[in-house]
Amino acid sequence: MGQERAQKRGSATLPTSTAPTAVSRTARTLRAGNRQIHKTLNNIKITILCGLVTILVLRGTIGFSSLSPDTDLENQAIIEETNRILAEIRSDKDPEDDNQNQPTTNLNDTYTLGVKISNWDHKRSLWLTRNQDFPNIVNGKARILLVTGSPPNPCDNAIGDHYLLKSIKNKIDYCRIHGIEIVYNMAHLDKELSGYWAKLPLIRRLMLSHPEVEWIWWMDSDALFTDMVFKVPLSKYKDHNLVIHGYPDLLFDQKSWIALNTGSFLFRNCQWSLDLLDDWAPMGPKGPVREEAGKILTASLKGRPAFEADDQSALIYLLITKSEWMSKVFVENSYFLHGYWAGLVDRYEEMMEKYHPGLGDERWPFVTHFVGCKPCGSYGDYPVQRCLSSMERAFNFADNQVLKLYGFRHRGLLSPKIKRIRNETVTPLQYVDRFDIRHSGQATSN
Amino acid sequence: MLDRIFGPRRSRQFHRLLRNGKVTILCLVLTVVVLRGNLGAGKFGTPEQDFKEIRETFYQYRSRRAEPRRVLEELQTEQTTSSATNNYAEFDINKLFVDEEEDVKKNPNEPYSIGPKISDWDEQRGEWLKQNPNFPNFVNPNKPRVLLVTGSSPKPCENPVGDHYLLKSIKNKIDYCRIHGIEIFYNMALLDAEMAGFWAKLPLIRKLLLSHPEVEFLWWMDSDAMFTDMAFEIPWERYKDRNLVLHGWNEMVYDQKNWIGLNTGSFLLRNCQWSLDLIDVWAPMGPKGKIREEAGRVLTRELKDRPVFEADDQSAMVWILASQKDRWANKVYLENHYYLHGYWGILVDRYEEMIASYHPGFGDHRWPLVTHFVGCKPCGKFGDYPVERCLKQMDRAFNFGDNQILQMYGFTHKSLASRRVKQTRNDSSNPLEVKDELGLLHPAYKAVKVSSS
Repeated sequence: MGQERAQKRGSATLPTSTAPTAVSRTARTLRAGNRQIHKTLNNIKITILCGLVTILVLRGTIGFSSLSPDTDLENQAIIEETNRILAEIRSDKDPEDDNQNQPTTNLNDTYTLGVKISNWDHKRSLWLTRNQDFPNIVNGKARILLVTGSPPNPCDNAIGDHYLLKSIKNKIDYCRIHGIEIVYNMAHLDKELSGYWAKLPLIRRLMLSHPEVEWIWWMDSDALFTDMVFKVPLSKYKDHNLVIHGYPDLLFDQKSWIALNTGSFLFRNCQWSLDLLDDWAPMGPKGPVREEAGKILTASLKGRPAFEADDQSALIYLLITKSEWMSKVFVENSYFLHGYWAGLVDRYEEMMEKYHPGLGDERWPFVTHFVGCKPCGSYGDYPVQRCLSSMERAFNFADNQVLKLYGFRHRGLLSPKIKRIRNETVTPLQYVDRFDIRHSGQATSN
Repeated sequence: MLDRIFGPRRSRQFHRLLRNGKVTILCLVLTVVVLRGNLGAGKFGTPEQDFKEIRETFYQYRSRRAEPRRVLEELQTEQTTSSATNNYAEFDINKLFVDEEEDVKKNPNEPYSIGPKISDWDEQRGEWLKQNPNFPNFVNPNKPRVLLVTGSSPKPCENPVGDHYLLKSIKNKIDYCRIHGIEIFYNMALLDAEMAGFWAKLPLIRKLLLSHPEVEFLWWMDSDAMFTDMAFEIPWERYKDRNLVLHGWNEMVYDQKNWIGLNTGSFLLRNCQWSLDLIDVWAPMGPKGKIREEAGRVLTRELKDRPVFEADDQSAMVWILASQKDRWANKVYLENHYYLHGYWGILVDRYEEMIASYHPGFGDHRWPLVTHFVGCKPCGKFGDYPVERCLKQMDRAFNFGDNQILQMYGFTHKSLASRRVKQTRNDSSNPLEVKDELGLLHPAYKAVKVSSS
């Protein structure tokens, strides 16, 4: 300060000498200020660092979870428990499983479906005479029992069960309209005849327990009715005991393994059928018998891939080699008692435009059968998208025919929602007469 | 202070040293902690878990809902973009459905109507029955034609095993109805979008009554109810002057106005004008939205013990019967001598005792006709009871009923928990001589009236 005053008194002299001192002074103040700023900054840094470390250490020792509500952990535990239970339900494990393996039939053992019965026709007609209130013909129609089924455990995936449910609803609708009873089987009656062979002991048992049933109609769970009006023309088969869809030239000339389809067929309740079942069964028993039989079938039938014996190939082989059976077998192809889905499902819109229900053939298929889709398993032979959308379309195509009586239809063949096609009225019975398949002129039979 | 001990320069150095020391130690500690966090710290968690938990907590507070006692979720596998997959597990079913038409927008000012008022249904129906003698409403002098109605959603269940239990349930109903000569209608269509949920049965029932004049009684049954007495035949003569049969107790409905005084999960409704009128009075509480909410409040206020939620068909029925007793009560039968509806909680543990002490045919507490799994909701994600109890007991109830079917054919389940069956009698060369114990193969009520025509 004193220096400044000394400078000012001699102001005429060079002013430059004041600059360095002023600079050094401001520099010094700046340096002092800087130091203060730095100190503050340092303190702040240290404070932040300390804060962070405290949080981390606290979190490490106490844990954050104690601060949040308990339900999260509880939910997590519940979800795990639930998944465990679901996995247990979906597995094939059973509390009654034996620890040792079931003995499979040896190649030398002869398998029998059951005790041999030799005068079933006589016994049955005796029973029918004694039980007049359980006739085999009701209102002029022979009594039919539709038999279908699925395994007792859940499907490998949830979609499979959903389509099994839709499939049985479809069958319930057709059978209600046509007065047919349904047996839905979920039990393995015979451990040896498992898989697709399970239908044989089931059909036999039902025949013997229900003498009032004239025809047993086996239908696969992946087959859907798509013509709700069409009736099976039983009068055509009065001299036959087995009605099955197929092509005679494929059967006899080409010996093709898909000449017939055992996904949908009718068996008359008689001795002949019991004998055929007995002749059919021997290729079925699980294990070496089925494997060996599979090899024979692959060698004898055209186009058959190598796998264990299945009931369809076995039946074809039986009918080819023992052609005396053929006299009572009707190989039907004038309508789709079984309709292979791939050629049908894309044409539904065209059918709705051009034709009408009741035809049962390629114009309006009676049954659409989704061979190879296997929605209950994990993998099918076709892309999933194609299979499921086709099954949905077939289901809705059939459902539209049922809903017509009630004045509704689906909003498109892929839509689960419905829309009204007829307004509500105070005189609903006029429509009942017109649209109820059971008593309208629409019902046709060949 | 240090200044005095060391001198100014020294003290400054000392301070600097201290500062550096602090920073070094802090950095070291931080490094150790961070390393520990990244390499894993066991149950104390990592900062990443912290973040997740914080996020979840905030989400929870945001969407505060009644705490679910049970959550069922399918582990979603990574979706493959390939549409040509053959693997069912990878497919998302909800991508399948396509609605080709828009929802019909309803005029919100229009009051809800379940259908145009019909006043002469008895005459119309009587006339029709006269003109159609091939479709009589009585299949036997004592047995009316009955249509059992049940249903479920057209979309797959949220619970991965829900559809399997629906399948078992319908198989169970098919078996009972085949033995008793009853037809089934399985509904998978929502007829009226406003009456969704438990109210969906009303438009369906009305539509079926009007479309099937040959049906004398319509039997509504929930999809979570199972038949457990295959031999019991409904005592139809008891109801010859009644139009509505529900399981319940007179005192609980008319005196106490208790919301569970009756159960609408399994009931019989006659096809007549009275029933149409009842449906017209029942329906107005149903339409989704404000009406249902408001009605729910009214019902909670008026009925005993009812919790707070939107109006349901059961509470509405209790309220109608209690408040309009003079109009309806004389044609309503509240049955409690057998389990037209049997609450599962008190029945399922006693099955073994029943097998030991009694036999099918009673229909009551000794051998219940129907075991109804109220609250289990196997198709949905959330139920009121633990999963294990519900599903395992449903399996047991199913097997309990199925044993009565299998015994016709000489089989039975190995145990009530087992899917496997075993033979109970040897094959016979005279199958027709063998009588099934319960007489279900050819029961009297299924005998066909041999007509002279």
